[in-house]
Amino acid sequence: MLLHTVSRSPAHSALRDCLAVLGPDDAILLLGDGVYAAIAGGEGAALLAGSGATLFVLEADAALAGVQERLLLPGATVVDDDGFVALTERYGRQLAWY
Amino acid sequence: MTAPAAAGRKSILVASRHAHPGSSLPRSALDTALAAAAFDQPVTLLFLGEGVLQLLPGQDSGAAGVRNLRKVLDSLPLYEIETVYADAAAAAAFGLPRDALPPQIEWLDAAGMQALLDRHDHVLGF
Amino acid sequence: MPLTYALLVLAAPASGHASLTAARFARALLARGHSLQRVFFLDDGTLTGLASAVAPQDEQAPLQQWVSLAEAQQTELVLCISSALKRGLLDSAEASRHERPAATVHPAFELGGLGLLVESAQTADRLVTFG
Repeated sequence: MLLHTVSRSPAHSALRDCLAVLGPDDAILLLGDGVYAAIAGGEGAALLAGSGATLFVLEADAALAGVQERLLLPGATVVDDDGFVALTERYGRQLAWY
Repeated sequence: MTAPAAAGRKSILVASRHAHPGSSLPRSALDTALAAAAFDQPVTLLFLGEGVLQLLPGQDSGAAGVRNLRKVLDSLPLYEIETVYADAAAAAAFGLPRDALPPQIEWLDAAGMQALLDRHDHVLGF
Repeated sequence: MPLTYALLVLAAPASGHASLTAARFARALLARGHSLQRVFFLDDGTLTGLASAVAPQDEQAPLQQWVSLAEAQQTELVLCISSALKRGLLDSAEASRHERPAATVHPAFELGGLGLLVESAQTADRLVTFG
């Protein structure tokens, strides 16, 4: 079980590269510019929805980016820093995409 | 194949997905892999996405004054890293001439890369 | 069950805010009762150790966040020596050795080799990368 952290906007190759190797038990945490991929209706969101990935968004970064909760694609779970750590407890390995 | 994992040793996959010389990360990725090998830890290299561009032969760094990455890659077998893995689809997308690339590259599709990620204790993304 | 973490920071402190996120993550993991073996700064991440960085008034300084963490928790902050030297990050010993006018690394950081990152990969329960 891998936690993939994506921190570039969906215009970059990071998200696509990540989705290409995403395993069925893996999860994605969007942080930094990665949160923009969670905006419902965007191409990034379409890719994420299509992948069926378990999706998390880092709260502080979504707030910083102005990506309010109501803009997020359905199925995205917002986590705070404590939640981020909890994800790394659960998913024993992490891979950063940037 | 990579060196067999010694009992109780965690294996590391170094995933390199940036191009050289535009980013310094390719060099740091290789240095990390070499350090792991030098300390006798099981390590595997995977070039994916833009990272496959590092594999082009015939890199001539003379005029540019930067270290030749190709030479570092060629020295991997000295550290017992015999095989490197690479993203076949990315190579095709960049038009890399497969027959001109070093033979010790094992080309993987998405499923192959997933499986490779799955069988390492740590995956470090560069 | 408390876990041992190690962090790998590749991002430059002034690029985006991965460095600040990493520092927040470090504090959060300690707050959850885990331990932090070390933070290894590599590549552009080594710029974090630059002693003279001055953050604008309305921004948090990554340097200060890491220094506070080191002071409060005795966290080991390591700058990869080869990445650091290339970027002009030298401690007193290296400044002498390379005949440079001054040490540029903040004392909360130490220069070290990739062997320390490899050691963390072997001994820490979790290794988290911030790029």
